[in-house]
Amino acid sequence: MRGLFTPITKIRRQVFTEVARYTFERDLDQSDFNYFYESSYRIIPGEVATYRDSVFKERAIIRERIRLALGLPIRPTGTHQPLTEGMAECATSGKKLELPLVNVIPFACEACPTDRIQVSDNCRKCLAHPCTTVCPVNAVSIGKSAAIIDQEKCIKCGRCVAACPYQAILRFGRPCAQACGADAIGSDELNRAKIDQEKCVSCGLCIVSCPFAAIADKSEIFQLITAIRSGHTVFAAIAPSFVGQFGPLATPGKIVSGIKALGISRVIEVGWGADVGSLHEADEFLRDVPDTKPFLGTSCCPSWAMFARKTQPGLSHCIAQTHTPMVAAARKIKEEHPSAKVVFIGPCVAKKLEALDDEVRPYVDYVITFEELMGLFSARQIELSDLEETDLITQASHDGRNYAVAGGVAEAVINVIRARDDTRQVPFLKADSLADCRKMLAQAKAGKANGHLLEGMACPGGCVGGPGTLSQIPRAARAVKAFAEASPYPTASDNTMEQLTPKILRPNP
Amino acid sequence: MKSILVEVCAGTHCTMMGAMNIMDAVHSLEEFQEDTPDMCDIQVRAIPCMNLCRDAAQGPFVRVDGKLIPQAESESVMAAIMARCHQLDGKE
Repeated sequence: MRGLFTPITKIRRQVFTEVARYTFERDLDQSDFNYFYESSYRIIPGEVATYRDSVFKERAIIRERIRLALGLPIRPTGTHQPLTEGMAECATSGKKLELPLVNVIPFACEACPTDRIQVSDNCRKCLAHPCTTVCPVNAVSIGKSAAIIDQEKCIKCGRCVAACPYQAILRFGRPCAQACGADAIGSDELNRAKIDQEKCVSCGLCIVSCPFAAIADKSEIFQLITAIRSGHTVFAAIAPSFVGQFGPLATPGKIVSGIKALGISRVIEVGWGADVGSLHEADEFLRDVPDTKPFLGTSCCPSWAMFARKTQPGLSHCIAQTHTPMVAAARKIKEEHPSAKVVFIGPCVAKKLEALDDEVRPYVDYVITFEELMGLFSARQIELSDLEETDLITQASHDGRNYAVAGGVAEAVINVIRARDDTRQVPFLKADSLADCRKMLAQAKAGKANGHLLEGMACPGGCVGGPGTLSQIPRAARAVKAFAEASPYPTASDNTMEQLTPKILRPNP
Repeated sequence: MKSILVEVCAGTHCTMMGAMNIMDAVHSLEEFQEDTPDMCDIQVRAIPCMNLCRDAAQGPFVRVDGKLIPQAESESVMAAIMARCHQLDGKE
């Protein structure tokens, strides 16, 4: 389902646009949030249901999505609460986001069966019926017209699935749970999906994997737009995966122009913070591996770093202590402009969680995704291809820009290590899903990754595969590669970032 | 070889509503070209906003050999291309 534009993608983006439009236009002192009742009719017009069994349910779900987009919690289904509850308090430029970040809208969830093996119409009740022969628990019997699986007995070994000559036996599970590498999705008392917040690392992949659009994350577009409109100076720090996300005609220079057209003062490449990170991680590797740390895990992906610390607490010290590129860039902005607000714009849901951390809070005010940013462009009718190009000063090296694709982080760090000490061998492992990260950690725990650099990413393909993206992965990866190659600095070591600072962070003379 | 021009609006609204996915779907038709000898050559082009969407949200807009498809989806565009291809094939 990923990479396809489905009605779910459309609804999600319509909600962002609708919330952004009202937030840009509302009276800052006298807002009437009852407007959002109308919004649900604008997105789901008429009396006939389009997506589900009832148009009332469709609008009810939209209203909860609107609340999440405003940064508010979803309402309890069983008791009365006005849609507008909490909206006035939330309508500020302050930080309002609270956990849980990723939410199941319970009445939107279709309570899909959990892992299950089932016989389909394809069964021909054949004479051989190898399905019964291979079953180790005698769960398969032959009924009147087809094979029958006793779900009580079935241990989901999958042997019958493999043995059937007609592909008549299927194994399927909940798409959300299958997408979750942290095994955080269980069931509530009505068998609907429920996220175990202790295990969840907010990678956001369940959001884009649920075929019924029952899972959504909270947004900070409401507070960001309110900050812009209240006259705050806002700096945007934009993740390396931004190139190619806004259509084939939206060049990097035009994307930056578009962000400025929203009322944001300056745009900083987070790839620059990635270069800072590469230098620090290379130093940490050379200093600590293998003396105090058997291996070093990269730290830029917050889901991976959190997942590693949660599932292998004994190895926590082996995940780099380096600030993530987002934090490095935001810190630099705040050093030069203490009163400015910083918005990180990226492909990532987990960055929203990272920004709630006490250490990160002082530097990053808001985190929004590319998809949410597109909603802002659409709300303001900003036509990127019509805009003048902003003349970009190269801020990041080739390697820093390449952080956006799986493998790029390890390569960047290794290139710095080699520049520091060309005799040093740096074997590395990489994983780009939490399921694979789990396996990589198991290998590391068993001592099979000693002396290695470990690159962990939660999203398949790396950041370009993040849940907040608009472009499909291959298209985005090509754009990232081209932009990386346009940098005159091959590696982080070559980036003269300190000299650049005045140019990119201080106001024009 | 017969050629079909597919123009996909890459304006803000159309991109948000899936224009890039439509372009990828059109590119995916190249897979059929090896096995289908009478398949047309498909030229895909991203074009700037045609100003059709500003008032009514009818995007994404696609033109297949000049014929406008509003509220385009991957499936409707692929179907229009295949139909156009058969049409051209019949004429020759």
